[in-house]
Amino acid sequence: MPEEVPVLQVDGISKSFDGVEVVSNVSLKIHSGETISILGPSGSGKSTLLRCINWLEKPDRGDVYLAGKRVGRKEDDQLMSDHELASVRTQMGMVFQSFNLWPHFTVLQNVIEAPVHVLGVSKDDAVVRGEHLLEKVGLEAKRDAYPYSLSGGQKQRVAIARALAMSPTVMLFDEPTSALDPELVGEVLSVMRDLAAEGMTMVVVTHEMSFARDVCQEVVFMDDGQVVEQSTPDKFFSNPQTDRAKRFLTRYE
Amino acid sequence: MTDWEIVLKEWPRLASGFGTTLLLFGISAVGAFLLGALMVGPLRSRSKIVRIALRSYVDGMRMLPFLIFVYLLFYGLPTFGVKLDAWTAGLLGLTVYHCAYVAEILRGAWDQLPVGQTESAQAHGYHGLRLIRRIVLPQLVLNTAPVLGNQLIYILKDTSFLMIITVQDLTYAASSIQSMYFVPLEPFLIAMALYWAISLLIEGFVRVVHGTAKERGLGHA
Amino acid sequence: MTAGGFQMLLDGAWTTIWISLIAIVCGVPIGFGLSLIRVSRVPVLSQIVVLYVSLGRATPLVTLALFLFVTLPVFGINIDKYTAGVVALTLNTASFNTEVWRSAYLAFPQSQIEAARATGMTRALYFRRIMFPQMWFAALPSLVNEMTLLIKASPAIAVIGVVDLTRVTNRIAAQTYEPLPPILIAGVMYILFIGVLVRLQRHLEKRAERYAP
Repeated sequence: MPEEVPVLQVDGISKSFDGVEVVSNVSLKIHSGETISILGPSGSGKSTLLRCINWLEKPDRGDVYLAGKRVGRKEDDQLMSDHELASVRTQMGMVFQSFNLWPHFTVLQNVIEAPVHVLGVSKDDAVVRGEHLLEKVGLEAKRDAYPYSLSGGQKQRVAIARALAMSPTVMLFDEPTSALDPELVGEVLSVMRDLAAEGMTMVVVTHEMSFARDVCQEVVFMDDGQVVEQSTPDKFFSNPQTDRAKRFLTRYE
Repeated sequence: MTDWEIVLKEWPRLASGFGTTLLLFGISAVGAFLLGALMVGPLRSRSKIVRIALRSYVDGMRMLPFLIFVYLLFYGLPTFGVKLDAWTAGLLGLTVYHCAYVAEILRGAWDQLPVGQTESAQAHGYHGLRLIRRIVLPQLVLNTAPVLGNQLIYILKDTSFLMIITVQDLTYAASSIQSMYFVPLEPFLIAMALYWAISLLIEGFVRVVHGTAKERGLGHA
Repeated sequence: MTAGGFQMLLDGAWTTIWISLIAIVCGVPIGFGLSLIRVSRVPVLSQIVVLYVSLGRATPLVTLALFLFVTLPVFGINIDKYTAGVVALTLNTASFNTEVWRSAYLAFPQSQIEAARATGMTRALYFRRIMFPQMWFAALPSLVNEMTLLIKASPAIAVIGVVDLTRVTNRIAAQTYEPLPPILIAGVMYILFIGVLVRLQRHLEKRAERYAP
């Protein structure tokens, strides 16, 4: 049986800032329905790698393929126009560490905004779907509230609903719980667990070891911009192969 | 006839002048705001040429007296064969001069806007004018309502400069009545009261917008 | 543009400078005094200050200059156009300066005031020794900003016949029939004056940041 086209393929991505290489020749393949977590110490390049996937950072070298189609560059190697890039991004959902909800819109308006104004979905349809998604993340009661009045955990759940409203092929999570007070982390992880269980393809940069261990099919450990170890959670957590991975895990256990 | 009776008899003149002031103010305020909003994006453009050209224009307008700019349009342009009547020169002057100020106010606010706002918009497929119009601009306006309100009041006051190039605005009307009938006090008192009233209305409007901003956690407290 | 034209421009520039300078030198302390009345909440007087500030900031300079010039003689005050110009500019800038000083006062950290009062200092004493020395520095950028606004609005005095840097361009054009050159040169001269002030303002803002609480 031919191998199915991976939903996301990252080929030899490298990125430097001010002459310092932050991501070095990283390659990954993610198949439909998989949840992979990217772990590593601060400064290991995990977030930068994630942001290269949807070209919020422009990779210096390497390519990203979404369902087989190259992201950021066209067939002829020319850079995509802003318009073309924007179009591709609608297929990738992103959840940020600092939530980044749009404060001038209510919770529901945040969720329907991009579907209506970018995808051209009718407002009525978007509202129906938006209410459904808010219910899913447990915040239907807050539909008319402004982000200003929400807790961090609530804001992040809205952010997840907002990204899901675009019906993306893959969801990218950039340290989604790192900015949350500890007691609010659980409600967000719970939503993410449900999403994974439903078969969403997810790439999660995180420090939450429990999530990586229990929910993901694959763990990618990065240090100094490189992929140092890559295996299933069982193997990684119980039997890390490299010294760097061992050192990292002792800090978190 | 008492002075007040004279002024009352001449109320059409004052009304006409006030109407001219309001019309000039209204059109140029809207124009300055629209142009300024269109200019913010390019002001922060990646293209060095565009950025420097617009930067020079904005800095230039902010270091030039309004009247000199109007003089340039009204007395200077005929040298190049472009003859504008006073009204057009005045309207153009108000709009082009003040849109630079609006652009600068909005640019300053955009620099303060958390970068995550544009990033999350981009991640959701926004770019270009749509990104600015839906996501960035509303926040900029809500954050700078008081400063924009002040700029509106400056636009209102600058309309009076146009009487120097013979536009028949409110100040011109007051001055004509004064010189025709030698009633120095009353026409000016009415004119000043009218400018004051419009200013208070603008400030009231700003308070409403600022209140809206605060509800959403915007407006730098 | 003839040599005579240049001389006229310089004369016009000088007129603009000295009139603006007097208005600034008077307007800053007057604004300060009025702000004190306002923050001390002196009954009746502070209400008058509020009224004056509101009206002063809303009245166009052209209207104010004309008003003073034609109305004051009625009350027996015979005022020449230069004095009317200076007074109009001063009244206008003082109203804005009152708010600048008031903002600086209100922004002053409460913690320092409490510390001063805890050591038994009277209000007058801690104002003079603690608040004011820091306040004026914090107010400086806004005061300089107001100075640039004053110079930009100064052509208003042309309406009562003062031959300032703007109006002088009409005079020159009447002689040379070439209106553009004097306007351009006057424009450049304004940009130079104001440019210096703007640079000063930015420099002061950076220095004020360093002393921020």
